[in-house]
Amino acid sequence: MLRYIVRRTLYMIPTVFGVIVATFLLFNWVGGDPAMMKLGKNASPRLLEDFDAQRGYNKPLLWGRWGTTRAFADADFARSAGAWRDVAGAEHRPEAGSLVVRDGVEAVVPLAFDLYPGETYRWLIAYRLPAGRAEFVVRGAADGARSVALAPSSAWRAARLDFRPGADAGELACAVRAGGGDLELRALRLRRGVAHAFDSQLWFYLRQLARLDFGASHETNQRVSTMIRDGLLPSLALTVPMFIAGLLTAVTLALLCAFFRNSPVDRFFVVLGVILMSVNYIVWIVLGQYVLGYGVRLFPVWGFESWRYLVLPCLIGVVSGLGSELRFYRTVMLDEMYRDYVRTAFAKGVGRRGVLFRHVLKNAMIPILTGVVMAIPFLYTGSLLLETFFGIPGLGRMGVNALNSSDVDVIRALVFVGAMIYVVAHLITDISYALVDPRVRLQ
Amino acid sequence: MRPSHSLWADAWRQLRRNRLAMFCLWLIGAFACVAIYGQVVYWRYRILDAPAPPALAPVKAVFVKVLMAERVAGRVAPYNRQDLGRQYSPPSWKHPMGTDGLGRDVCQRVIQGVRIAFQVGIVTSLIAIPIGVLLGCLAGYFGGWLDDVVVWIYSIFACMPTLLFVLAIAMMVGRGLLGVYLGIGLTTWVGLCRLIRAEVMKHKQRTYVQAARALGVGHYRILFRHILPNVFHIVIITFSLRFPAAIGTEVIMSFLGIGVQGEPSWGVMISNARLRLWYGVWWELAFTTAAIFLVVLAFNLFGDALRDALDPRLRTQRE
Repeated sequence: MLRYIVRRTLYMIPTVFGVIVATFLLFNWVGGDPAMMKLGKNASPRLLEDFDAQRGYNKPLLWGRWGTTRAFADADFARSAGAWRDVAGAEHRPEAGSLVVRDGVEAVVPLAFDLYPGETYRWLIAYRLPAGRAEFVVRGAADGARSVALAPSSAWRAARLDFRPGADAGELACAVRAGGGDLELRALRLRRGVAHAFDSQLWFYLRQLARLDFGASHETNQRVSTMIRDGLLPSLALTVPMFIAGLLTAVTLALLCAFFRNSPVDRFFVVLGVILMSVNYIVWIVLGQYVLGYGVRLFPVWGFESWRYLVLPCLIGVVSGLGSELRFYRTVMLDEMYRDYVRTAFAKGVGRRGVLFRHVLKNAMIPILTGVVMAIPFLYTGSLLLETFFGIPGLGRMGVNALNSSDVDVIRALVFVGAMIYVVAHLITDISYALVDPRVRLQ
Repeated sequence: MRPSHSLWADAWRQLRRNRLAMFCLWLIGAFACVAIYGQVVYWRYRILDAPAPPALAPVKAVFVKVLMAERVAGRVAPYNRQDLGRQYSPPSWKHPMGTDGLGRDVCQRVIQGVRIAFQVGIVTSLIAIPIGVLLGCLAGYFGGWLDDVVVWIYSIFACMPTLLFVLAIAMMVGRGLLGVYLGIGLTTWVGLCRLIRAEVMKHKQRTYVQAARALGVGHYRILFRHILPNVFHIVIITFSLRFPAAIGTEVIMSFLGIGVQGEPSWGVMISNARLRLWYGVWWELAFTTAAIFLVVLAFNLFGDALRDALDPRLRTQRE
């Protein structure tokens, strides 16, 4: 048994790893630019840079020595002049896809803000210099002026220059100088060095998770872990009673259907189940609020002050879930009804009620229990819609608010924790199966 | 000897006898026609402004001619036409479903809602079904490390909190129809993949596969020409049951403001009509919810009948 538990627990590791990678890829890679999503297109590059630095978004995605900086947006002159539009002495030629620095001119690179002292930066230059001399100069670096000579070549070549800004970053100036011929630039990129090759976003994320730190909300600047702790109780206060009531109703009705199988009662509930299933969740909420909250004034519609505020959302939750639950449990019960042991029980004279409650229900407990355990993660996320429209300050409302304000860290944490709870719940189900049923252990 | 029937012919005969299922099929057909009508109206008012690369200009010209788009050049599409003198007018002959807060015809907007619902149902299926079928077939047939990888991937997707994950994908991809498609499509292939994998594993042991192997038929041919047709009914059943679920999810997404933007989707309409209900404007909400209910109910009932006709064992599958 112990061996089974250990083996089953080890099986969990790839899934957990997969969830980490999946959430990471979805929120760090697909998402594009969280800083821009949060601060808007008109935010200053410096603000965006600080936002990125705080959350590790300016590091390389998986590994590498160089991360990004917003001080200089990557210039690809084949596409546009970018920040170089207004630089004196430089001329953008769209047809050639290059930027030309004229003979004898020194063009100063337009930086969006002063670079940070103490960081390492690297310029990556793609150029062509048919004749003459040219160099790329950085003045005011920590160790004085630094420069790299651009060797003459009629083909495109690459050069790079590493530097550290001096203590007074305002002094820093980067410039391209050409002498004796025109210099053509095809691309110019600025990179920011990171501590080591694995100092990446993934590493940052893993370290955060190891500390059980889910970052901070962009919106409220609260720690996400605190927010989850605060929101958990209201969520559970709504979902646990809703879940228990829903389960009891569904199982009772399913037993009723199995008891009166193929009778008008059964058919009525089958039809009712499909109809309940087909009404959209939102319609239940809107109608429930309107009829029971506003029309009859039985329940308060908005807030979280006493148990009375929870009755209406609970009721709506139960009713909206009842259709599919009822159908599922009815099928489970009916499946059991045709088993051999049921026939035997009937044959030896056990009454219908005895068969149903003593034999069938006991055997149907396994799928019911699976359903129960698998529902646990959904108790945690609460009900997104119910909490939003009844003003219950739980995790569901937190999730919807975060979705509306593009609060990536909060959503990522909610998804991740939800997935983890599911994994653990799955583990517990499997172990309890093995406890109950020895055949499982041997597989 | 009894004449032989294929699975499909048998299922069709069984469905034909089921009057409710046939009625639902007719209803689905009617809604599909409405969706096509909505699409035609939508294109008619959009095509003149739609950017087309020069290579496609003749195609565009043909469409402009067929849709008679030039006659409506410069006019606002009927579902967006505002009439500020007729705000909140109750159902009448001119506006059979009344008008909304900007005097727009609710009927035309509900029709556009049908169009979007069908689009969502079809496109998400086109995303989910190929992924699910391909991965399920490969994993079930070849087993080994391929199976391990596929099971690993789908167990990752399976443990994500469903609705939140869909919404998160849509948020990260960007609000709009594309986000809806990807959010729903990339999460719903899991169930199908699991079913197909289990079924292919079973069929792999069957004698007809052994016979094909003995004749020297290649693996991929066996898998896609011999086994796949035998498990394809699962795809049809899953499609008919996923379709209404996708429609429901889209309504929720649009309602929350993560889904369709700037077009008359049902979720957006309910969200707008919700507060007006308190002032007695019932028609916008009533007709929209009735439309959702009818489409979803028809699909659910038909899907059930189809499943019972094709493969009743799938009944214990939880959606």
